[in-house]
Amino acid sequence: MRCEQEVNRALGRYADTVRRICMIHLKNYADVEDIFQTVFLKYLVSPVVFESEEHEKAWMIRVTINACRDLLRSFFRSRTVALDDLIEQPSALAPEHREVLDAILSLPKKYRDVVYLHYYEGYTAPQIGRILGKNPNTVYTHLTRSKQLLRDRLGGDEDA
Amino acid sequence: MRDRITAALDQIRAEEGLKARTNDYLMQQIRTGSEKRTMPGRRPAVAILAAACCLVLFVCVAGYRLYFTATSAISIDINPSLELQINRFDRVISVEGYNDDGMALAQQLEIRFLDYQSAIEAILENETVADCLGRHELLSITVVGEDEDQSLKLLQGVQRCTAGQQNVHCHSGNAHEVEAAHQAGLSFGKYQAFLELQALDPSVTAEEAGRMTMREIFDRIAQLTQGVPQGEGSASSSWHGGGHHRGRHS
Repeated sequence: MRCEQEVNRALGRYADTVRRICMIHLKNYADVEDIFQTVFLKYLVSPVVFESEEHEKAWMIRVTINACRDLLRSFFRSRTVALDDLIEQPSALAPEHREVLDAILSLPKKYRDVVYLHYYEGYTAPQIGRILGKNPNTVYTHLTRSKQLLRDRLGGDEDA
Repeated sequence: MRDRITAALDQIRAEEGLKARTNDYLMQQIRTGSEKRTMPGRRPAVAILAAACCLVLFVCVAGYRLYFTATSAISIDINPSLELQINRFDRVISVEGYNDDGMALAQQLEIRFLDYQSAIEAILENETVADCLGRHELLSITVVGEDEDQSLKLLQGVQRCTAGQQNVHCHSGNAHEVEAAHQAGLSFGKYQAFLELQALDPSVTAEEAGRMTMREIFDRIAQLTQGVPQGEGSASSSWHGGGHHRGRHS
């Protein structure tokens, strides 16, 4: 079991990352607290020795995605989702940010992780493949298709 | 597009209240040291419930088997022939008739789950048995079991129950002899009497013995051994039960 200082450091460093993954996966705000407790408790009791901060961050992302998937497998959690259900104060979001977040949430589930990891966290396709346990070519395909869907919805340049 | 996505996702941050509650939860886990919990409050509850169910099931199955396993038998023969299966708690778990009268008597009696002494008293008070005793028929009660301590205790209990009765024999036998008796279609007490009679008169069959009362069998034995006329013999002085019986005349 890790010590109190390590847990506080991880919570300060990765809480926002875990929160963003929760936002793109979960269907209501009430589940976020469950995921936080699950993920950071796993961190607390995990015997894994991290080789670097990058290793630690990738572990945290993978554990969070898996925890969200486990939660979503529940029979009772199959309804559709609205952005307003996912964050505590949706009215505080600027319209342009709301439009982008709505566009991400409109993507098929299998594309949301690669969009987040590629555009926000800056991972390459092979790195994403390692985190998600997928073939890099599959990741490339998902990236290309999600890019097209986002462009259709948001417009914008060819960069991405 | 990258900039827009980054700017939008930057707006999503862990709420302070959420971080504080998570921190409280983790500190509590560190304090209690319950590191085995992987989902808050769910899996341990399921595991405890499952363990409790298994325990209850085990206790029920083991208790059922303990209670409904016969460890001794009490064979009762007059004209009706009955056998009571007794469990390790000295309770009657089944009543079986070994001839027509015995089956009819087994139907009448409500002695299942009674203590064996109460069952014996109920049988002695039964109208059919009381009539037989009133006609000076002989009543044979045999205790059989593999556990000698329990058999001795049952025999002593049966002797106490029948202390005020005339023409009652109490003895003990062993399980192998009981098995042979059941194969012959007789209760143990009658089977012992039949063997003794057959030794004197090989023409007698188990089927005939089953139809005879104990008094008739004993009188026949007395007639063959001492030349005493039928109906006048003192069967109780001539008959010896099998095995390591502790014969007793009441």
